[in-house]
Amino acid sequence: MNGGALLQGALAGLASGGLYAVLAVTLTLMSRLVRVVNFAQAATGMFAAFSAVWFASELGLPTWLATIIGILVGALLSGIIGWVAATWLSEATVTLRSAMTVAPLLMLISLSFILFGNKPQPFAPILSGPAFSVAGVVVSWVTVVMVLLAIVVAVACSILLRRTTVGTKLRALSERPTTAELIGIAAKPLSIGVWAVTGAISAITIMVIAPSQSNDAISLSMLIIPAAAAALLGGFKRLDLAVVGGLALGVISGIVAQIPAVSFVRNFIPFLFIVILLLWSQRKEVWDAAR
Amino acid sequence: MKKRIAGLAAMTAVAALALTGCAGGDGGGDGAPIKIGSVNTLSGPATFPEASAAAQAVFDRANADGGVNGHMIEYNTVDDKGDPASATAAARELVGSDEVVALVGGASLIECEINQDYYAQEGVYSMPGIGVDTGCFNTENIAPVNIGPFNDMTLTLLNGSENLGLDDICVLLEIAGSTQPAYMAGVERWTEITGKEPLFVDDTVPYGGSDYTPYIVKAKEAGCKAIAVNGIEPDAIGQVKAAQAQGWDDVTFLFLTSVYSENFAAALDWTGGGVHVPAEFYPFTEDNEINEDWKSLMEENDIALTSFSQGGYLAATYFLEVLEGMDGDITRESVAEALQSMEPIENPMVAAPYQFQKVAAQDFEPGAWPVVLKSGTGAWEKSAEDWLMIPAG
Repeated sequence: MNGGALLQGALAGLASGGLYAVLAVTLTLMSRLVRVVNFAQAATGMFAAFSAVWFASELGLPTWLATIIGILVGALLSGIIGWVAATWLSEATVTLRSAMTVAPLLMLISLSFILFGNKPQPFAPILSGPAFSVAGVVVSWVTVVMVLLAIVVAVACSILLRRTTVGTKLRALSERPTTAELIGIAAKPLSIGVWAVTGAISAITIMVIAPSQSNDAISLSMLIIPAAAAALLGGFKRLDLAVVGGLALGVISGIVAQIPAVSFVRNFIPFLFIVILLLWSQRKEVWDAAR
Repeated sequence: MKKRIAGLAAMTAVAALALTGCAGGDGGGDGAPIKIGSVNTLSGPATFPEASAAAQAVFDRANADGGVNGHMIEYNTVDDKGDPASATAAARELVGSDEVVALVGGASLIECEINQDYYAQEGVYSMPGIGVDTGCFNTENIAPVNIGPFNDMTLTLLNGSENLGLDDICVLLEIAGSTQPAYMAGVERWTEITGKEPLFVDDTVPYGGSDYTPYIVKAKEAGCKAIAVNGIEPDAIGQVKAAQAQGWDDVTFLFLTSVYSENFAAALDWTGGGVHVPAEFYPFTEDNEINEDWKSLMEENDIALTSFSQGGYLAATYFLEVLEGMDGDITRESVAEALQSMEPIENPMVAAPYQFQKVAAQDFEPGAWPVVLKSGTGAWEKSAEDWLMIPAG
């Protein structure tokens, strides 16, 4: 096993790393701004992407139009879940609000089986082909776009939160919801807006990645697991670390696949990642105090 | 909540018992129906609905023609949800309470391995339309109509090395459950026949993974000319797409029958050097008289044209032929007897004749028809003019 092969593995894992990073950024945003860990994040994107395929193949719409409709479907679906959370669970704990999102996750998977069947979808690639090669590994356009998208989304969100009025309102809402409402910030539209935007981002992400990998409902929806592991690196609070976590997770998976001795762990990588992070974050806890 | 569910379950069970009327099988008196069942994976992550639907269509047609020697056929299809507990329950429902005479035409992800001991204990014989797990191929009570994924592995390698003249074939295995030794035996059998070895075997490829790029890169780097993979449809699509993204234009894919479908062909525009598959039944993607009866029956009943519906159709057809040759009462014992002593049945849709005992013992020459999906065609075509057989070793 030489360094070259490891580098190739690392590059090969970048595409999924970018994907995990984008999803991790959206998860972190949701957790910060609307106090929820949205388990249905990837499923929303999956359903939106499948709708786009349906509009393109069944109704014969051009790809660009179907893509736009797909993004709108993603925003709408996510907005509906957000509306449920804002209407009935506005005062509930993070745990309860997060648990609620398991229902739409399962519902979207079942619904996509019913509407679109359980076979992979014939996605027309929005982006395809190699961008350039490094060390004999082709880096595809999908990889480039994914990594850039992760960084752009993270940077854009942090500028939005720090530099704009909307961002200030959002931060106020997430930190002191009652106080913010009392001084006249409209909580419900704002939080539903956050849900809708993250839904749209998920839809874009899944549509970019789906043509170049397994794209049945289950595997796309379950991308939430590595994404959550990545978001954990930033403690569901820091966007920059969420990006780093996503990219690192992808790169590690890519490297592990190249080393026969350890490749059996590749299915548990997100899990191991979570366990190690939890142990590390609790390293200073004294047993009694942590109980 | 838990209590309520338990209560509901109990009520459902009572209702089910009442509805089935606890009919003790009095064993084929005059005009009594012949009860046949099948355990299938109809819901869950991977589903095989076509096999039992096809068997149902064959039995319905037989009933419409007056049944078998004056007996109507009652065919009961049960879903195991791909879940071990449900599979166990499904077998007991059919064998224990329905008292079926045999199990015919099913397709399940897990059922054989879980229920084979129970079937042996109850003396019931099973003729799956498509046997998937290892348990379908290692017991004398179960004889699937298809040759199975392990023979398929040998055949796809034979097709690659002998028909296509490829060397440097790499084997990538997705292992679910305890299938690894069986697949490896399939690879070793190819080595015995041809004296050729795979360039490497990687049995750590994830089942239902999302991005296969790392595995594809590894194979490309190792200098593989072809990769033989046992992935199901979504995984195989992922692997082809990963190779496309890597610009690996000259790779040949050697897949198994599970990807031989119209849907797969529609999903892939680019297939590198081609996707080659040994089709376990006569290729259905081209019109010909061999598949005519099956095809028209499937279209009449709105059943998808897949290898699975071919398997279900064949199982039911064979079974009817065995029933028609029986004299006297049709009971579980007499059906078992008839299956044990049946004459081999020939059918142009398969390479080898079907004889229950021989198939259960895997003591026959399996064969398949090579087909190819070339880049940009979006349609399967035959790549050979005859069955490709595994020589008796």
